[in-house]
Amino acid sequence: MSALMTFLAIFRGRKLATAGLIWLCIVAFAAIAAPLIAPFDPFEFDPVARLSEPGTPYLFGTDHFGRDSFSRAIYGARMAVMIGLGSVFVALSIGGLIGMLSAYFTRLGHVLMRGVDVLMAFPALLLALVLMTLLERSVTNTIIVIGIVYATTTARILFGMTLKLKGEVFVDAAICSGAGHSSTLFRHILPNLISPLLVQASFIFAFAQLQAAALDFLGLGLPPEVPSWGNMLSEERIYVTRAPWLLIFPGALIILSVFSMNLVGDAMRDSIDPRFKDDIAGV
Amino acid sequence: MWLGNVIQGDLGTSVFFRKPVLSVIGDGAETSILLATMTMFWIVLFGIPIGILSATRHGTWVDQVTSGGAMLFASVPTFWLGLYLILIFSVGLGWFPSSGFPSLSDDGGVANLRYLILPSLTLAAPNAALIIRLVRASMLDVAREDHVRTARAKGLHPAKVAIRHVFRNALIAVAAAFGFTFAALVSEAVVTETVFSLPGIGRLVVQSILRRDYPVIQGVILVIVILYMVINLLVDLAYARLDPRVSLK
Repeated sequence: MSALMTFLAIFRGRKLATAGLIWLCIVAFAAIAAPLIAPFDPFEFDPVARLSEPGTPYLFGTDHFGRDSFSRAIYGARMAVMIGLGSVFVALSIGGLIGMLSAYFTRLGHVLMRGVDVLMAFPALLLALVLMTLLERSVTNTIIVIGIVYATTTARILFGMTLKLKGEVFVDAAICSGAGHSSTLFRHILPNLISPLLVQASFIFAFAQLQAAALDFLGLGLPPEVPSWGNMLSEERIYVTRAPWLLIFPGALIILSVFSMNLVGDAMRDSIDPRFKDDIAGV
Repeated sequence: MWLGNVIQGDLGTSVFFRKPVLSVIGDGAETSILLATMTMFWIVLFGIPIGILSATRHGTWVDQVTSGGAMLFASVPTFWLGLYLILIFSVGLGWFPSSGFPSLSDDGGVANLRYLILPSLTLAAPNAALIIRLVRASMLDVAREDHVRTARAKGLHPAKVAIRHVFRNALIAVAAAFGFTFAALVSEAVVTETVFSLPGIGRLVVQSILRRDYPVIQGVILVIVILYMVINLLVDLAYARLDPRVSLK
C-alpha cells in the first residue's frame, strides 16, 4: 500500500503525466475486459457494411472486410499491452542478468559485454528485421525479438549501475559478513536497482509499441489476422484516400499510448535516485 | 569463404536481380544518401534552434509547449506521419509528388529533390524531437556551472551567454548523440522508404527480406554496420576536438 502511495506521489503537480497515467489505466482496462467492451466480434466480416464511416453502430467505422474498427481497436489494446509487457520482461530478464553478471564477475563481463557490443552495432529496427527473417511471424516471436533488441541497451545500463553499486560500502559489508555471490547480487545489489529498472521498463514499453507497429507495417511483425493497432494501419493503408478514418483511430491510439508512457517514464525518472539519473536513456 | 570474398570487394550475387550485390546496393545509395543529407539538414535546422529556445525560456509556457511537442513527435510512428503527409500535401494540396524518386541525372535534375521533401521531413520529425530534448537538457546542465554565472555577472548580453558560453559547451553532448541519431535514421529510413516507395537501401532490405534474397540482406547489413562503426569513430574523434578535456589515450 505504501509503495503505491509513493508511486502516486510522483504525479503530484504533474498534470500531463497524470493524464498519461489515466490513459494507460484505460488502455489496461480495455485490454483486460476486451470481450466485454467490444460491441462486435473483431474477426467477423460484414461485406455489406464495408468501409462504412464512423457512426452508429460502427463507432470507428469498418475496414475493407467490413470488420468493426472499434472492436478491433479494443482487442488491439490487448495486443499492445501483451507486446509491451512481454518485451519488457524479455529485455529486463535477459539484459538485466547479462548486465549485472558482467559487472559483478569482471572476467565473464569482458566476454558477455563484447557480445552485447556486437548486437548494439545494429540499428534497432534492422536487428529486429534480421531476427524476424529467421523466425516465423507470431505474437511470441515478435515479443522475443523486440525484447532482445532492448536487452542490449538494458544490459549496458545495468552494467554501469551495478559497477557503481559494487564499489559502495554496503556491498563490502555484505561480503565481509559472509554473503555469497548470489546473495550479494540479488539481495543487496538488485533491490537498489528496482526503481531505475522500473523507469527503464516504462521506456522499453513505449519504444516496443513503435517497433511493433513498424514491424507490422513492413509485414514482418504479428500475423496479419491478429487485431493489433499496427496491423490495422498496415492493412488499411491502401484505403487512406477513401477511408482516412481507418488510419486516424489506430494511429491516434498508438501515439497517445506511447506519449503517455513516455510522460509517466519521465516523471518517474525525475524522482529516482540521482546516482542513476544519467544512466537511463529515455526519449 | 564469404569473408574472404568480401575483403576482395565481392559481396556475392543477388538471387533476385542476378547482379553483384555491390552494384545492387550502389543503385540504392544515391537515394539513401540524399535522403539522409536532407534529413540531417532538417534536424539541425529545427532541432537546434528550438532546443536553444526551449532552454533559454526554461519553465515558461514556451518551454512547456516545445518540450511537450517534442515528446509528442517522438511518439508518432514514422509511417503514420508519412501517410498523412502524403494525404495532405500530395493528395490534398498537390504540392509534392507522393512517391518514387528519379535520379538527379534524369530529367529535371536538381528539381527532382522535391520528391525527397516529404520523406525527409517524415524522417526528421522524431529525430529532431530527440535533438530538441537533448539540446535543452544539456544546456540546462551547463547553465548551472560557474563560468556561466561569471559570464552573466560580467554583464554580458543574455543571448551572448546562451550562445557563446552555454550552447558551445552543450554542443559536446549533442555531437555525441549524432552516432545514435544515425542508427535511428537507418531504422526509420527502412520504414520511410517503404511508405514513399523510394528506391533506396532501406526499401531494398525489406524487399530482400520478403524475397528471401539472402546475399543482398547480408551485404546491406554489412555495409550499414560498417558505416555505423565509422560514424561512431568519427563522433569519438570529433568529441576529442570539441572538448579539450577528453583525451583519446
